[in-house]
Amino acid sequence: MNPVRRLVGRPLAYLALVCYAIFLGFPLVWLLSTALKTPQELATLAPSLIPRTWAWSNFSDALRSQDLLHAGANSLMVAVASTILVTIVAMPAAYGLARFRTKMRPIALGWILVSQVFPVILIVIPLFLILQQFGLNNSLVGLVIVYLVWSLPFALWLLQGYVAGIPRDLEEAASVDGAGRLRVLVSIVLPLLLPGIVATALFSFVSAWNEFFFALVLIQDPALNTLPLALAKFVGQEGQVKLGALAAGSLLATIPSLLFFSFLQRRLTSGLLTGAVKG
Amino acid sequence: MTRRSSVFAAALAAAALVLGGCATAGGGGSSSSAPATTSAGGASSSAPAETSSGAASSAAASSGMSSSGGSSSGASGAQSSAAGEQSSGAAVSQPAEKVTLRFQSLAFQDTTIAATKKIVDDWNAANPNIQVELVQGSWDNVHDQLVTQFQGKTAPDIIHDAADDILGFAQQGYLADLSPYLSPDVKSGVSEGVWKSVTVDGKVIAAPTLLQTYVVFANSKALSDAGVTAPTGDTMSWDDFQALAKQLTKSGQYGLGWSLKSPTATMMNLALNFGGTYFDTSSDPAKITVGDKEMQVPTRIHAMAYDDKSIDPTSMTQSGSDVLPAFYAGKFAMMVSGDYVAQQISEQAPSGFTWQVLPPLAGDTADQAADPQTLSVSADCKNPKEATEFINYFMQAANLAAVAQGDWLIPATQSARDEVLKETGGKNGWDQILASGEHLTNAPFLTVAQYPQWKDQIATPAFQQYLADQIDKDALVSQLSDGWSQVAGG
Repeated sequence: MNPVRRLVGRPLAYLALVCYAIFLGFPLVWLLSTALKTPQELATLAPSLIPRTWAWSNFSDALRSQDLLHAGANSLMVAVASTILVTIVAMPAAYGLARFRTKMRPIALGWILVSQVFPVILIVIPLFLILQQFGLNNSLVGLVIVYLVWSLPFALWLLQGYVAGIPRDLEEAASVDGAGRLRVLVSIVLPLLLPGIVATALFSFVSAWNEFFFALVLIQDPALNTLPLALAKFVGQEGQVKLGALAAGSLLATIPSLLFFSFLQRRLTSGLLTGAVKG
Repeated sequence: MTRRSSVFAAALAAAALVLGGCATAGGGGSSSSAPATTSAGGASSSAPAETSSGAASSAAASSGMSSSGGSSSGASGAQSSAAGEQSSGAAVSQPAEKVTLRFQSLAFQDTTIAATKKIVDDWNAANPNIQVELVQGSWDNVHDQLVTQFQGKTAPDIIHDAADDILGFAQQGYLADLSPYLSPDVKSGVSEGVWKSVTVDGKVIAAPTLLQTYVVFANSKALSDAGVTAPTGDTMSWDDFQALAKQLTKSGQYGLGWSLKSPTATMMNLALNFGGTYFDTSSDPAKITVGDKEMQVPTRIHAMAYDDKSIDPTSMTQSGSDVLPAFYAGKFAMMVSGDYVAQQISEQAPSGFTWQVLPPLAGDTADQAADPQTLSVSADCKNPKEATEFINYFMQAANLAAVAQGDWLIPATQSARDEVLKETGGKNGWDQILASGEHLTNAPFLTVAQYPQWKDQIATPAFQQYLADQIDKDALVSQLSDGWSQVAGG
C-alpha cells in the first residue's frame, strides 16, 4: 500500500469502525441511561444521556417486583439444557448429512428447509396439545424439548456446512496412517469442527434465552416463568410501561448472554484449515 | 427457531420508547392556585401513592373476613354492603372437599397488585376449603395466551380480562354463565348498560370490575395564565370545549393535545355523546350506520385541528400517553385521554406541575361506551359456583375501591364508587373521573364479531387519513360503510 493511501485510508477505516461501534452500542448505552432515570426524568421533553438524579431503585424494583433472579435461573436452566442437547444431537446428524451421500440426504435437507417456513403461531396450538398429552406443558422439561426441536433444523443446517468445509483428504490421510473411524472423528474432525460447534451453541443459547412466545403459551405456573415472561409484565394495558424498571431488567437480562458470548467467541476462530491440503 | 430476540427486543423497545420522547421539545411546569387542582410535585412523591396505598390497606382492614366468619349461604355469603358501608366477610359455605381455583390477574400497578393479593389472602384465610391461587398475567399478551389455554383446556378458573377481548371467547362457548351464582348485591350494584356489555346470548359471561372513560385533563397554570376559569358543572358541552381549546391557543402553545394515532376506539366511544352507535346488532351480520350522529366527533376534531388550529398536530400522530411529556412541558393546556393516565401524571409530572380533570364531555348526553375490565369463569372450571363466590367477594365495595384507586379506574358498582369518593375526598381529579363513570353504557360495537377486523383494516386507516386532512368527510363515510360491507359481507 502506498504511504498516502495508508495515511488516509487507515484513519478512515478506524473512523468507520468507531461509527459502527457507536451505532451498535448506543441503544445499550441509552438503555443504561434509562435504567438510571427517575419517572419524572423519563417523561421530560429534553432528555439527557447522563441522568440528573441516579435512580438505582429501578434495579431493585425490577428484581423485586417480578422476581427476575428466579426467572433468570429458569431461563439459564432451559437455555443451557437445550444448548447441550441441540449440540449433542446436531453433531453426529450433521456429520452424517455432510459425509454420507445416501438417497435420504436430499430428502432430509429439503425437510430441514421446509421446517423453517412454518410460522410459530401456526404450530403452537398443535404443539401445546401434544405436550399436554404427555403431561409436559407447564414444565421446563417440555420447554427444553420444544427449544431442542425448534432449534435443531437451523443448527443442523449450520453445522453440516462446517462439516462439508473440512476436506475429506484430512480424514483419509488419518485413515491411511492407521486411525480408526472413532479416532478420526475425535482427533481430526472434532477439533476442526469446534468453531461450528461454538456457533451452533451460541445460536441455541441465545435463541432459548430470548424466546418468549412458546414460554408464554406453555408455562402457566409463575414459579416457572422465564426471563422474557417476567420482563413482559412491565408492560401494562393501553401502552402503560414501567420504563425504568423495564430498562433495568432488560439490562440485567442481557448480561448472561454477553458473558456466554464473550466466553465462547474466542473459539469462533477461522482459518484453521488454511493450507491444510494442497491444490 | 425465530431469531427475533425478545429480551433484546424489550431492551431496544425500552430505548426506542425513551428516544421517542425526544421528538418534541418543551418548556416548563407551573404552580397553581385553583382549589380543585392537584399538585403533581407533591403528588408524585406522596399524595396519589398515599391515596392508593391507603386504599389497599383500607381494603385489607375493612375486608374483615375473620369477624363475619360463619357460613353465610351460597353466593350471598360474599355480598357487599350498601353504598359506602364497609364490606362484609369473605367466608362462604365450604364444600366438603377442598377446592383450589386458579385466578389469573392482570393487575399492573404495584398498588393494584398489592390490593389484589390482599383480597386473595383474605379470602384464603376465611375459606380453608376454597383456596384461590393467584397467577400474575400480562395485558400485553393475554389474548394469545387464552387462545391456547382454552384450546388445551388449561385456562385459569377465574380469568381477568376486558370485555372487548373476552366477548369473542364467550361467543365460542369458553366461558361459564355466572348469572345463577352472582350475588343480588353484585347484580343490583352494576348498571344495566354495563351488564349488557358482558352479556352474550342472555348469559352473563363476566362480572364487570373497572371501567375507563375519556376525560379532559387540564394544566391548571395554563388556564389561570390565560385568565380562564375552569369549567364547572356536571358536564362540559363539546361547543364549550372547542371554544375553550381555541381560547387557550396562543403563540407557542396549543389549547389541546390529543393522541389520535389509533383513533377508532376514541371515535366509537365518544360517538355515544351524540347518540352515534355505528352498528345495529339486531340483524346478523350487524348493519353499519355512519350518519350525522356518528360524524359529530370526527368533524369536530377535524375542525379544531384545521379551522381553529387548537390541537397540537404532533400529538395527533402519537399514541396513548406519549403526549404526556409535552403536556408537562406546557406545549398544550389540555389533553384528552383515558382516566387511567391520571396515575401516570401523579407519578411522572415534574415538581410544581398542577393539573385537574374537567367535567365529562357531553353532546346530547355525556354517554360513553362501557368496555369494562372483567372477571370471568372458564367453562371448563369444575367449581363455577365457588369461583363466582370469589368474584362476588372481589366485587365488594372496599375491595373494588382498592383496586380501582391503584389503577385510577372507575369501579363498576355504585357502592365502590361511593367508597372511592369517600376515601379520596374527590381529590386528584377523582370527583370528575367518578362523575364520568355515571354515563357509561352498553355500546353495540363491542358485541359485533367482525368489529376488530373492521377496526384494524378499515376504520383506523380511514380515520387517520381524515384526521391528517388527506380525505374529506364524505370519503370517510364512504370508506367506513363500504369497508364494513367488505368485512362483514353485509
